[in-house]
Formats: sequence, structure tokens, C-alpha cells
Amino acid sequence: MLQTAFNGLISGVIMTLPALAVTLLFGVLKFPNFAVGAMMTVAAYLAFALNAQLGWSLIAATAVVAIGFGVVCILIDQLTFKPLRGRSAITLMVASLGLGFILENLARFAYGNTARSFAIELARPFRFLDVRMNHEQMITFAISTAAMIAMWLLLTRSPVGRAMRAVADNPQLALVRGIDAERIIRWTWFITGMLLAVGGVLIGMDRALEPPMGSNYLVSVFGAAILGGLGSPLGAFAGALLIGVASELSTLVMPPNYRIGIPLAAIALVLVFRPQGLFGQPYIRK
Amino acid sequence: MSAVLSASGLHAGYGTGDILKGIDVALEEGRILTLIGPNGSGKSTLVKTMAGLLAARQGEVRFAGECVNDWSPPRRVQHGLAYVPQEYNVFRNLTVLENLRISHEFMGGGKGEPLSPELAALFPGLPARYGALAGNLSGGERQMLALACALTVRPKVLMLDEISAGISPLLSTAIFRTVKSINARGVSVLMVEQNAIEALGISDTCVVLAGGRVRFSAPAGEVLGMKDLQSLYLGDAREAGA
Repeated sequence: MLQTAFNGLISGVIMTLPALAVTLLFGVLKFPNFAVGAMMTVAAYLAFALNAQLGWSLIAATAVVAIGFGVVCILIDQLTFKPLRGRSAITLMVASLGLGFILENLARFAYGNTARSFAIELARPFRFLDVRMNHEQMITFAISTAAMIAMWLLLTRSPVGRAMRAVADNPQLALVRGIDAERIIRWTWFITGMLLAVGGVLIGMDRALEPPMGSNYLVSVFGAAILGGLGSPLGAFAGALLIGVASELSTLVMPPNYRIGIPLAAIALVLVFRPQGLFGQPYIRK
Repeated sequence: MSAVLSASGLHAGYGTGDILKGIDVALEEGRILTLIGPNGSGKSTLVKTMAGLLAARQGEVRFAGECVNDWSPPRRVQHGLAYVPQEYNVFRNLTVLENLRISHEFMGGGKGEPLSPELAALFPGLPARYGALAGNLSGGERQMLALACALTVRPKVLMLDEISAGISPLLSTAIFRTVKSINARGVSVLMVEQNAIEALGISDTCVVLAGGRVRFSAPAGEVLGMKDLQSLYLGDAREAGA
């Protein structure tokens, strides 16, 4: 039971970065980006190319890919979403679905369907309170927690973060307060790209690299973001942990194939009983 | 005295139709100009166009001697053309301090204290509410915050769209007093107002719009003395101007 809960905690922690990315992008651009799964996949394969094929350390590969993928996300926005700016959220969502198909199949085209792994040294797991933990899990936990704190500081303590929240709140007013909305949108995509790149590497470390690796997390990631409260970094973190632990614990009482029902049930319950999520502020409507 | 902000032959609107049909208006430096007119006359459209939120289809907006038709709203603000919209004029999901800070940072003030001692004296109630969510402020507090945000970096011109809308007469008087104090510090003011009597009481010039055109302009004191002042902004502008 304790081991299952711990495994769930780590599954949840892995989802925190993509959940943060979803919540951030939804806050500023007001559409659910269903390409996040495929974006993580592509970023993970880029890190794989540097790490397993070119021999870089995984840390260096991840750092370079995180920055590079932030830039790639800005380009994706300029080519895909910018021309659709001002259209409805449904239009943008459909565009993101199409983008997801393209990106996932690009990864499939380049690397095929065979599962691959990063070149990392295997280390002996250790035990704490009768729970078996491995080094990858500890790294995952540390990186995700650090990213959550960094995001919170960014959004509340930096001019760019405050501007992101301002654009999310009232884009027209942001313009007459001197905020260049397009610049803030580029920053949002850059940070989203970094989060997704690191998230993709963490998933690749936990499981294996294969084309649907990111898409497999899509429902859980959206469940985490909605449960925590869209727009709340703390909520994304808490939502991801809750969904991860609940999904894993559900396997004690029902077949593992049905655990996808946990995030779906969380989305339904939250939308009915507490639309702002656990940590989201009840949004003050215009 | 030279015009710090002007529109000449200005056409603008939404969709296919023009709401402004060749407007000529000039705000002289250091003065207060109030725009009045019936609903739909184009008052808010005019200030939105001057702020850059709406494109000029014909004609010219000039600010501090330059044609600013191609300037983005942030560029206009950073050069000293501040604008307080009629509604939703604060970031409701940000705190009072964050609203002030963001205005100060992005309107060209950089880092540092967003509320100068001078502004703190003008808006003495704000520091006590720094931690409050702007959306939870009362109507009067919200308008004061919106004004303070527009002033965090001393603008050359302040454009106010219905700053007294939806607040009590007592607060409204306080807001007009504050606007007069702001003007006394050298900021030229362009106001759109339904509360014409109080607005004209602090103004130098009045411009009456109707049907997207200027019906007439006159010194505010003269307009205030007109017997049929109400008809100017209740709809019968042509008759009043005759």
C-alpha cells in the first residue's frame, strides 16, 4: 500500500510540469493546448538524440533541449497559433489537436515505434520506511518541486510573470498599461516549451521513449490542471499529486487499465462542484 | 497655446460602418477638455481610437507634435498618453499593489516604488488596500486605483472614459476634485462624461458630439450656463447648438 502510494506520488510529480504548462498557456491564451503530449514526446526524443546518440550527459542534454524547445515553441506559435489569434478557443483547440498529430508522427517517422531509453547509469534502489525508491524518482521529485517554486516566483515576483497574469486577466487593459501582449505571449510559449521539455525527459526516464509517450499522459495532465485550478501553479502541483496517487491506489481495487477513469472522474466532479478547482481563485468575471 | 493631443478628420468604427465621421478635436496643453453627447455619439470610440485600441480609418491623431496613427497602444502609453477605460479598468485578479507595480513597470517607470509620495498624497486610501484583490474593491476605490495606475508614470495627457460612472455622488465629487488636482500638476486631461455638470465645473473646454461628428465646442463655463444643457447630452444636440 505504502509502496503503491509512493509510486503514485512519483507519477503525480511527473505530471506537474506539463500540468503547469497547460495551466500557464490556458491562462494567457485561453485555449486548451492538446499538443502538449506530442510536444513532450518531441522534446524527449531531442534529448535522446543528444544523450544516447551524441553521448552528452542527460543533464546537459536536458538543459540545452529545454532552452531550444522554448524557442521551438515560440516558432510553433508564430506559425500555427498566431494566425488564429482572436478566433474561438474551439478553433485553437482543434489546431492544437492537428499540431499534436503532426508532432507525434514526426517523432514516429524519425525513430519508429520501438521503445528506447536514455543512456543513464543504473543505480541500486534504496529503501526508506520499507518503500523502495530509485535515483530517477528522487531526481524527478527534486526537479519538479524546483520548477514549481520557480514558476511561483516567476508569476508573483517578476515583471514578466505579473504581465502574464495581467494579459490573462484583461488583454485590452494590458495594452493601455504599456504591456506588449505579443511579447508576453512569446515569453509564455518559451516557458511552456521549457516545462514540456523537462517533463518529456522525466517521462522518458520513468517509462520509455516511444511516440505516444506524451499523449498517454494527456488526460491525467488536463485532469491535474483542472483539479488544481487552471491558472494556479500550486494547484497544478497539488492536482498532479492527487491524480497520481489516486490513480495508482485505484489499481488496488480495480484493474490497472481502468485507472484512466480517475482523472476523468476528477474533471467531471470539479466542473460540477468546484469549477475553480482546489486552489484556483473563483474567477472574477468581467 | 499648442495642442498636445488632437484628432483631425478622424474616421473610425467597428465592422463596416464608421462611428466617427470626420472628428476634429484639439486638447490644449495643461487644459481639461470634456466630451459630452448622447449615447452612441462616438465619445468612447474617439478616446479608444486616440489610445490606439481602435484603428483610425481616415484622418490623423497627433500627440505631442507627432502623428501616432501607426503607434501601438503600449508605445502611446510609454510616451505619456495615459488612458483609463470606462469599465474593467483594473486587473481584477491582481492585488492593488500588483496593479500599481505593473503599470509603473510597463508604462516606463522601471523598478522602484510605484506610488510616489505625490501620488500617495493624492490617493491616501490605496496603501492600506495594497494586499486586496482589485476585483474586491468598491466602485470608488476601483476608480481611484485606475486613476493611480494611469498616473504611476507621470503622463502628458490623461484620457478618462466615464470615470464617475456607477459611483455615488459624494465619491464622484471626490474623483473630480482629484482630476482637478492632477491637472494642476501639469497633466492635460481629456474626459468623456455623462455627469456633465460636475465635469464641466472643472473643465476649460467642452466639445459636444452627436452622430459621430462635432456639433459644437465652447468654453466649459459658457456651456454650463446654457439653459438647455441637458439636451446636449440627452440627444438634442443640434437644437442646443443652433
